[in-house]
Amino acid sequence: MGTLYEEIVAYGGEVFGEEHMETLLQCVQCGKCTGGCPSGRNTALRTRKLFRMAQEDMREEIFNAPELWFCTTCFTCYERCPKGVKTTDVIRIIRNLAAKEGHMSVPHRMIGVYVLKTGHAVPIGPDQMKIRESLGLDSQPPTTQKYKEQLEQVQDIFRTTQFDAMIDFDWDKMDLRGKEGGEKK
Amino acid sequence: MAEEKEEPEKEEVKEEEPIEEPKIGIYVCHCGINIKNTVDVDAVRDYAATLPNVVLAKDYMYVCSDPGQEIIKQDIREGRVNRVIVAACSPRLHEPTFRKTCISEGLNPFFFEMANIREQCSWVWEDKATNTEKAKDIVRSTVARSNLLEPLEEKEVDVVPETLVIGGGISGMYAALDIANAGYTVHLLERLPSIGGHMLQFDKTFPTLDCAACILTPRMVDVGKHPNIDLLSYSEVEEIGGSVGNFTVKVRRKPRYIVEKDPVTGAIVCTGCGLCATACRMKKIPNEFDLGLGMRTAAYLPMPQAVPACYTIDPEKCIMLTKGKCGKATLESTGEAIKRIKSGEVTVEEVKDEIPLCVATCGPNCIDFDMKDEIVELNVGTIIVATGTDVIDPALQPEYKYGVYPNVIHGLEMERLLAPNGPTQGKVIINGKEPKDIVFIQCAGSRNKQTGYEYCSRVCCMYSIKHAHLIKERIHDANISILYQDIRAYGKAFEEFYDRIKGEGINFRRGLASEVYQRPGSDRLVVRGEDTMLGEPYELEADLVVLATGLRPSDGVEKVVRLTKLSQSADKFFLEAHPKLRPVDTAIDGIFVAGCCQGPKDIPDSVAQAKAASSASLIYLGTGKAKLEAITSEINEELCTGCRTCEALCPYDALEFDAEEKVMRVNEAICKGCGCCNGACPSGAASMRHFRDRQVYAQIEALTEALAPPS
Repeated sequence: MGTLYEEIVAYGGEVFGEEHMETLLQCVQCGKCTGGCPSGRNTALRTRKLFRMAQEDMREEIFNAPELWFCTTCFTCYERCPKGVKTTDVIRIIRNLAAKEGHMSVPHRMIGVYVLKTGHAVPIGPDQMKIRESLGLDSQPPTTQKYKEQLEQVQDIFRTTQFDAMIDFDWDKMDLRGKEGGEKK
Repeated sequence: MAEEKEEPEKEEVKEEEPIEEPKIGIYVCHCGINIKNTVDVDAVRDYAATLPNVVLAKDYMYVCSDPGQEIIKQDIREGRVNRVIVAACSPRLHEPTFRKTCISEGLNPFFFEMANIREQCSWVWEDKATNTEKAKDIVRSTVARSNLLEPLEEKEVDVVPETLVIGGGISGMYAALDIANAGYTVHLLERLPSIGGHMLQFDKTFPTLDCAACILTPRMVDVGKHPNIDLLSYSEVEEIGGSVGNFTVKVRRKPRYIVEKDPVTGAIVCTGCGLCATACRMKKIPNEFDLGLGMRTAAYLPMPQAVPACYTIDPEKCIMLTKGKCGKATLESTGEAIKRIKSGEVTVEEVKDEIPLCVATCGPNCIDFDMKDEIVELNVGTIIVATGTDVIDPALQPEYKYGVYPNVIHGLEMERLLAPNGPTQGKVIINGKEPKDIVFIQCAGSRNKQTGYEYCSRVCCMYSIKHAHLIKERIHDANISILYQDIRAYGKAFEEFYDRIKGEGINFRRGLASEVYQRPGSDRLVVRGEDTMLGEPYELEADLVVLATGLRPSDGVEKVVRLTKLSQSADKFFLEAHPKLRPVDTAIDGIFVAGCCQGPKDIPDSVAQAKAASSASLIYLGTGKAKLEAITSEINEELCTGCRTCEALCPYDALEFDAEEKVMRVNEAICKGCGCCNGACPSGAASMRHFRDRQVYAQIEALTEALAPPS
């Protein structure tokens, strides 16, 4: 296995192109990303530090850092980075690599559960259903959430791609395993 | 020395025809280890000795060194060789060196040829066996060409002993002064009404804190009074033609509408008394010199130290010039009245309703609303371009809110607020009050891929540190923070200056500011960023935010590029002929660059480069001669069909069509030997000296020999 940087370029390169990922080396640690980060204002996310860790091949530290998952992908830093580092995309690729090795935050895994159970990352809840009914609409629109046979196809995709294993989904309980174990499984 | 010996050599060439059978000498250079480590130089040498007409092949550690050149000289002197090939580096640097070697032994320099086995071979790959084969191919190809070379003559032209300097900032002024002091005429052209440039806008200079105006104003006066300097202020270049030694330049002198000098006697007419400005009705015009922070009138002197000290009427703001009337006076009534006043028919008092207030107050009667553009034609031997720099648009980074909040300003505006000749007489006042909390944001605009200005502007660190000191001097209890990513204190006495200012209690915080916003309901600003040393985000409140904006090439650079086809580097500043060894020369002989138009610089570097450019210019003016390019196009008039295909392609306008003979002719003084005409000529009439088709084809054939199927 190569360095984390090499993995980012190889894995992210397939999605965004290698040059896009190679911008990680251009980071000069100016801090403009962190200072304007709407998430970092309230959380432990230090965007700049993530790039430094990636440059320094601090693989385990970055994969185990809860703040890796605090980025809301708002792209503010991406637009402002003076060195043209493709910040948000680099973070997303690091997350993908972390997830492949079994690191993923519970909230992110829960989104997987929603998709698995309803076909939607943000399913329609009882409140929305009431509003729809009051407007004279069906309580549910014609989507996978309503049609179970369609949902089964979504679940098939999960099994085929082994996304269910990645988020550690328990088909018997229809929920995550080790949900209470903290930020990661 | 070389030139003295060259004279008899030229005649020898003429006598020498027909050309002797080639006796080629090849000298393979090790270039220390640069070539030797990845090319088997012994093998290349032995191979070279087997090629047609090669009489000897040698190798040496540094062929360009004195003993190395001596080996070549001896072989020429003793009649062993009459063609020289050096297999070494790119011809860019050492072709001139070895041409001189040949000249010193009476061999025509165009019988020298370089085989580039370094940049095109040894530096590119690591595999020695492959490299050695490639080096052999390159040498074989060069031999094929060498066999077909012809002697060429380098012609000389006389140099007009005058120079044009474009730009009247610190660089242009110093270049002009040096040349004028050496006894040659200088035409110094300035776009604005006064010389002085950006330096005159500064309060103090870093790191010594010299007062900018105190050191600059006397030099401006020197320029204005120098008998050898023809100061063309308020003028623009319209056309540049010709070539080294004899450039023809058309200059448009814009009308000031105020007579500067008597056209006949040359005596000063406008005394600079300023009564016209006091009288002028148009009082609220933003003063460009103060970057709009101060006001001027339509009749104005941009700054009190202006040279020439002649007022100018702004044609876009003066209502007499835009609307044809001012008060009761009209253009016609004014013209009529001025004539009558001058003839003594009436007094100013008697016609005061027929003339505008400025004319009524002007003692020397020098206002002339009928003044027109004037085209001046110049003939000069050399040109120094010193068109300078401008501030990068701070609004390119919208997160800093320049132009949104009035208390976000840029570095040059800060200079004007600090300068005693500025709009506030040196008091730091913003939003009508003295700021207490001041934040500087470094690298605004520059070192940034998003704005497109990727380079470091080199002056912003030091000017912000200087500003911090100057503010502290005036507002003792000011809280000043400088938000930086790197402090670049690289120059003489810079680090010491940085240390000194740190000692004054300025807060240097590492971490580029992310954004600026205004605290709701107040004019206080909040600067948000990360302290990268602490790894913690912060918010700083400020009354004033100063963006340390970087420098970009001025618009004059683009204009000169249009007029001369000078090249620009990727950063859009002028490209020098060689980054290390020819820093003020350009691709066009006789045109030099100085100051910030070549790249961002501080004042000492600008002055140094100005003096270098004037020195380079003086070589031409002093010797009175310039060598012309020998490798030019040649048109065979018997083959030329007069189709004129080449004419439009020539980037140097070196081709002239002879309508009577219906053939194209080459002006060899202008031709740079680029080969466009040769490539496009449908009848094969145009050919390049030293790059004849047969010479180039022989080279290609030899190079591809290894690939050809065995016959």
